[in-house]
Amino acid sequence: MNPDPGRFVLRLLAVFAALHALWALLAALLHRDMLPSPLAVYRALFALDGGETLLHIGTSLGRVFAGIGLALLLGLLPGLLMGRSPRWNQLLDPIVYLTYPVPKIALLPVAMLFLGLGEASKIGMIALILVFQIIISVRDGVKAIPANTYEVLTSLGAGRMERFLHATLPGALSSMLSTLRISLGTAFSVLFFTEIYGTEHGMGYFIMDAWLRLDYAEMYAGILLFSAAGFALFLLVDLIEHRFMKWRA
Amino acid sequence: MIEQAAAARQARWTVTPGAGFAARGFTAGYDGVPVIGPLDLDLPEPGIYTVLGPSGSGKSTLLRAAAGLLPDYGGSLALGGRPLGGRKSGGAANGQAAVRVGFVPQNYGLLPWQTAVRNIRTALRIARPEEPRAVREEAAARWLERVGLGGLERRYPRELSGGQQQRVAIARAFAVRPDLLLLDEPFSALDAVTREGLQRLLLGSWRAQPSTMLFVTHDVEEAVLLGRRILLLPEGASTGDDRNRAEASMYTGGLLQIDNEALAGLPFEDKRDSEKFQEQTRALRGLLREGRGTTHES
Repeated sequence: MNPDPGRFVLRLLAVFAALHALWALLAALLHRDMLPSPLAVYRALFALDGGETLLHIGTSLGRVFAGIGLALLLGLLPGLLMGRSPRWNQLLDPIVYLTYPVPKIALLPVAMLFLGLGEASKIGMIALILVFQIIISVRDGVKAIPANTYEVLTSLGAGRMERFLHATLPGALSSMLSTLRISLGTAFSVLFFTEIYGTEHGMGYFIMDAWLRLDYAEMYAGILLFSAAGFALFLLVDLIEHRFMKWRA
Repeated sequence: MIEQAAAARQARWTVTPGAGFAARGFTAGYDGVPVIGPLDLDLPEPGIYTVLGPSGSGKSTLLRAAAGLLPDYGGSLALGGRPLGGRKSGGAANGQAAVRVGFVPQNYGLLPWQTAVRNIRTALRIARPEEPRAVREEAAARWLERVGLGGLERRYPRELSGGQQQRVAIARAFAVRPDLLLLDEPFSALDAVTREGLQRLLLGSWRAQPSTMLFVTHDVEEAVLLGRRILLLPEGASTGDDRNRAEASMYTGGLLQIDNEALAGLPFEDKRDSEKFQEQTRALRGLLREGRGTTHES
């Protein structure tokens, strides 16, 4: 994290204010419905029903967390296997290598076909996007653990479980966390797509619904909220990283 | 091959118990290529034994086998009659505890995600699970203090200098109260001043808690400064031919043992200036050159 949190926050606020100024300027110049002024948008934002808005945000975050959780669950084991055993790596590497470059968002219709239009396809898409990144980062994280880290543990009489707990897992977790931070943005974007269909909750639904109703102020309010939720998530990962990755910072 | 293995297995059980570090027909290698041995060796305990030899003489291999990192070695290694190297001692049968090993590799081998004190606590938790937590924590703090890192226990390895990291590794090795200390060129990555400080620290720690210590180095002076006895390994594993020649020469049991008691008794500060030190280092350098010469002829 930043060495001086106070100045960091100040800089963030400055950029935040500058962006709003730019927005206000553009809105004044354009003077069209499609870009309301910040004031109008914030007025719409505060006119929203609090409980319902929270439900939208909560639903979206819930889907993201479920997707992350599923991806971790599915990605950790293959990543660990590939990192620890050259044979498993040989076996699984071509699969990962071939499927990694496929733009996962292109699989959205497939996910909808197989998993339906409900929660399963939404969570499944997020997991699908994250899981390959997690597999690769866990593998590389485990591979990067120096051999003598294990050697000292072995010489002390550590068993398989102890070696895993003290060496393999921390090595894997640290690289997993930095991957999560990078791929969270992608996951959030995909969430938007999946919330366009088959649901009446979530930030994606909220934004598209306002768009359909031509309520642009509310649409932008939704975009603001969606961004804020993304920012909060990013901060959370930052915080976790700060708390657990002090040894690397 | 099978006969050899059977003989080796036989030898493993016939090590005389009670003595210190003992090797019987010890051989080891990587991917079937032998790099050391056969070695026969008895080292009374306690004592610091420095292992010296040209690169490729298998000095690290010997250490790794004793540390349990090379389970496929031939012959036997034991300490006080208890087999070394992660082999089941049959100890459960005759009530022997496994040999406790403290291992200090060249690049410290600290867990980067644990603070200095946590590194030592983790080692203790693995090596001495029977001890109460409070006792282990006290031992970790005490050894960190002793190696001069009292205020730095909450630092992570990357926040410590190389010398400080090696201090942690030494503290960790001593804290488990090992029966056998194994150090694999622990100071070779450090500058001369830091190295001397750590040599002194190592000797002091050992005097506070004597055990059998095998100290591998490629530095002749370090071998003479630290060792009560210096074990000189010839270059490469001996084939039948080599072995005949080796046996004809001064090498016995696959290595040359050089008595260094006279220097071991001196205070550390006086060692370098003593005549005996000059004499020993000169003699060792000669032997190292010679050893290299004979193998190059073949």
